[in-house]
Amino acid sequence: MKLKMNNIHKFYGEGENRVEVLSGINCEVNDGEICVLLGPSGSGKSTLLNIIGGIDSADEGYIDIGEDCTSNMTEKQLTLYRRNHLGFVFQFYNLIPNLTVKENIEVCSYLSKNPLEINELLQTLGLYEHKDKLPSQLSGGQQQRCAIGRALVKNPSILLCDEPTGALDYHTSKEILALIELVNKKYQNTIIIVTHNDAIKNMANRVLKLRDGQIVKNYVNETTISAKDLEW
Amino acid sequence: MRNPLNKRLPREFAKHASKYIGIFTILVCTILIGSSFLATMDSVTYTIQQNDEECRIEDGQFESLSPIPGSLKTYFEEEEIELIENFYTTVNDYDETAKIFVFDERETLNLPSVFEGKLPEKNNEIAIDRLFAQNRKINLGDTLTLNSQDFVVTATISLPDYSSLFKNNQDLLMNTADFGVSVVTKEGFSRFAEDTLTYRYSYRFEDTSLSDSEQRQLTEDMQKQLLLEGVTLQSFLTSENNQSISFLREDMGKDGPVMKVFIYILIVIIAFVFSVLTSNTIESEATIIGTLRASGYLKREILAHYLSPTVIVAVASSIVGNALGYTVMLKPFEDIYYTSYCIPPIKLQFSLEAFITTTIIPVVIMVVVNWFMLYTKLSLSPLKFLRKDLHKRKQKRAVKLPDFSFISRFRLRVILQNKVSYLILFFGIFLASFLLMFGMGLEPLINHYVEEIDDTLPYEYQYILKAPVEEENGEKMELYTLDTWYQLGKTNISVSFMGISENSTFYQELELPENEDEIIVTKPLAQKLNLKLGDTLTFTDDYYEKDYTLTVSDIYDDKSSLGAFMKLENLNHLLEQDADLFNCYISNEKLDIDELYLAKYITRADMVGAANQMMKSFNMVIQFVNIFSIVIYMVLMYILTKTVIEKNTVSISFMKVFGYSSREISHLYLNATTITVLLSLFLCIPVEVLCFKYIMVFVSSLMEGYIEFYLPFWVYAAIIGIGVVAYFLINSIHIYKVKKIPMSKALKDRD
Repeated sequence: MKLKMNNIHKFYGEGENRVEVLSGINCEVNDGEICVLLGPSGSGKSTLLNIIGGIDSADEGYIDIGEDCTSNMTEKQLTLYRRNHLGFVFQFYNLIPNLTVKENIEVCSYLSKNPLEINELLQTLGLYEHKDKLPSQLSGGQQQRCAIGRALVKNPSILLCDEPTGALDYHTSKEILALIELVNKKYQNTIIIVTHNDAIKNMANRVLKLRDGQIVKNYVNETTISAKDLEW
Repeated sequence: MRNPLNKRLPREFAKHASKYIGIFTILVCTILIGSSFLATMDSVTYTIQQNDEECRIEDGQFESLSPIPGSLKTYFEEEEIELIENFYTTVNDYDETAKIFVFDERETLNLPSVFEGKLPEKNNEIAIDRLFAQNRKINLGDTLTLNSQDFVVTATISLPDYSSLFKNNQDLLMNTADFGVSVVTKEGFSRFAEDTLTYRYSYRFEDTSLSDSEQRQLTEDMQKQLLLEGVTLQSFLTSENNQSISFLREDMGKDGPVMKVFIYILIVIIAFVFSVLTSNTIESEATIIGTLRASGYLKREILAHYLSPTVIVAVASSIVGNALGYTVMLKPFEDIYYTSYCIPPIKLQFSLEAFITTTIIPVVIMVVVNWFMLYTKLSLSPLKFLRKDLHKRKQKRAVKLPDFSFISRFRLRVILQNKVSYLILFFGIFLASFLLMFGMGLEPLINHYVEEIDDTLPYEYQYILKAPVEEENGEKMELYTLDTWYQLGKTNISVSFMGISENSTFYQELELPENEDEIIVTKPLAQKLNLKLGDTLTFTDDYYEKDYTLTVSDIYDDKSSLGAFMKLENLNHLLEQDADLFNCYISNEKLDIDELYLAKYITRADMVGAANQMMKSFNMVIQFVNIFSIVIYMVLMYILTKTVIEKNTVSISFMKVFGYSSREISHLYLNATTITVLLSLFLCIPVEVLCFKYIMVFVSSLMEGYIEFYLPFWVYAAIIGIGVVAYFLINSIHIYKVKKIPMSKALKDRD
């Protein structure tokens, strides 16, 4: 599903402390692309991701996803927009501690009219043997796999990943990126990854570099490197 | 597919079992007390109403010095008033302290209800009221010697005109241990000597549709007719004025609202405790909620999920509370009535009002309070949840604290951080210690009341006469009852006017006013009516339809009655009687007065005994209140202080990483709670005393007489002591918990 950002502006603070964190973002991400949002801390990449995800609002501009437009959406409409189109993966997993791996994934499966088959997804995620474990019994990488599974099970058209490897070690990070790559191929979702790890750009179809709230580079990788071959 | 979030609920209950069990326990206790109390009250009300109809209770009664003339019977027939002879003999020889009224067989009015056995058929058989029989351990088949006649007990009964055992209508308290009523056959009654009989007549209006005013008019006409016919009335009571009938009816209505208010206060406190717990859960699960919201969960779906524990606990408590209330706890509450009143067997009724009060409303209160809190909290954006920024408004600046030591400022910060929990803890402590004050204070209060009567009553015996008779060892007194308006109780109260003889040996300190329109009032009367010197009061004599306006010239420390003192001649002059008329003797020794002249005979022991009996009937309630208060103390303190530790688990872990010992951390976090608990305990005391005083004024407004507020020092000490012990027990659990918090918590919980 095509994603279009139209003249997105976002301000924080008031009066003298008012800061423009996004100043007129215009960009398109094509259906099935892996798009990496790169930039230093404070560049506005997470804010942009949150606006795309409908959990933050733009002060000006709007997002188009397929036929839907986020401008003038009510809170309930935004929720349904997220429910129908989006999946979220966060840096710190945010799993429900007293639900098992499978049950954590069921939490989002419940929301979808057309969910993926959970056991098959667990196999894809490499978590089938751990499906009855609680999050506290898993390693960080396994927890992030579970979080990805939870986001994917709804079969969303867009998967939004906010620093998905930020809390993980090198090898685990590569495993997770490989998994993201795999699900992109398998389920054909558009994937947007926010990261400040420059190396990740090499696995993306599209790279957006942000600085001071503006896109300073927007390019398409002619050739991509497989996640397992990434080095940093 | 069922909502997978529901799978969390059993695990949530298991993980926080102690908190939920605590709340469940208080709720169950509250609901079971409420439902059993209200169901019993409604059942007793229903039973009495039904019994009054079935047993054809009288509308009133009067006693005359001698049988009324036959000519009056025509009057009663014409007025369609059913009149029966309800004669009785007063038994004084059963034992030294007890008195028994033995009534003639009842055929049309005030019929007895049988508890056990069968009504007497032979002239040597007697049926005795259940309560007196129980208190005196009289069994069926026992032989009683009453006024020198032997009777075999064949039944235990209740009489509708004696549901409350008041020996005299003027008595302040019932006396179920030393006063009983009984019924024999006509032949059995004829065995008593004529001169021991009291000629009581009971009447009932044949037209049951008469309005109150029509009944009043007929009653007034009846009294006039009796006087016209030369009947010397000893007393005239409508069933509303007859404490033996009306006391229970009035008592039934008055306890209900107090119990309901008590339930609602407790439920609101529990609801707020629950909302604090849920609020803490929301805070600790903020990122999960943010993720769920970001994933597309609607606000109402999240709200329903977090509201579920409240609904489950409230509904489960209601079911268990009602089940126990209608089974296990019913008997203790029935026993309260059975040990206080002589009522027929209680027929259990399902009370819709009790169900609504104890079940529907508590569940609604719990759900509404928690729904409102959740609705407010969950109205924040998903992003705010993900950022753990759960403030509606922008964070204010940190409260500026005085330049205290670091430790003191740290503790103050903990208190400020948990101000809502501490505020609820304060109200919980207030309620629990108030209940404890009530439970522990009632006995010394009543004892003090009895002691005060004992200390200030100047004589040992009081003999009220049917007719003047000379007795040189007694001091003459004229006793007369007048009514005055009691604004607080919105009713008339009876005041005993005492005409004191010149040179009284019992009231030597009393400087009786010379003026005929001046009185000295007793302290209880002054306290009840809030009287000051110089105040003017209007007294009415309903019997002769006269009003008297009198001025208070002094207040006398006599706690035995709501009374007013005058010179004997002044009182007689006021009442337009002969100057030297008297109707009472007071004495420190037993007088030898012929029973024929004696209307009533009261000893110091009568008053003390009656008060002790009142304590006996309260005893179980007091035990229950005390245990319940301690449970509330423990549970509220445990839950609310636990939340403080849970909120700060990561910080405590960090403190350990920094090098603070568990003991130092306990001092930092737990001492803040200790300070709050101790401050609450001490601050609550004066407010509780004030509330208790108002309650005593309220209680006194419901009864004849005035019970002064009194609490010995040990009650205050015990309340604080129990509070402190309860807290430190819980604190020791928390200290253990603080020790168990691992340092890795700080490192693992990175978000």
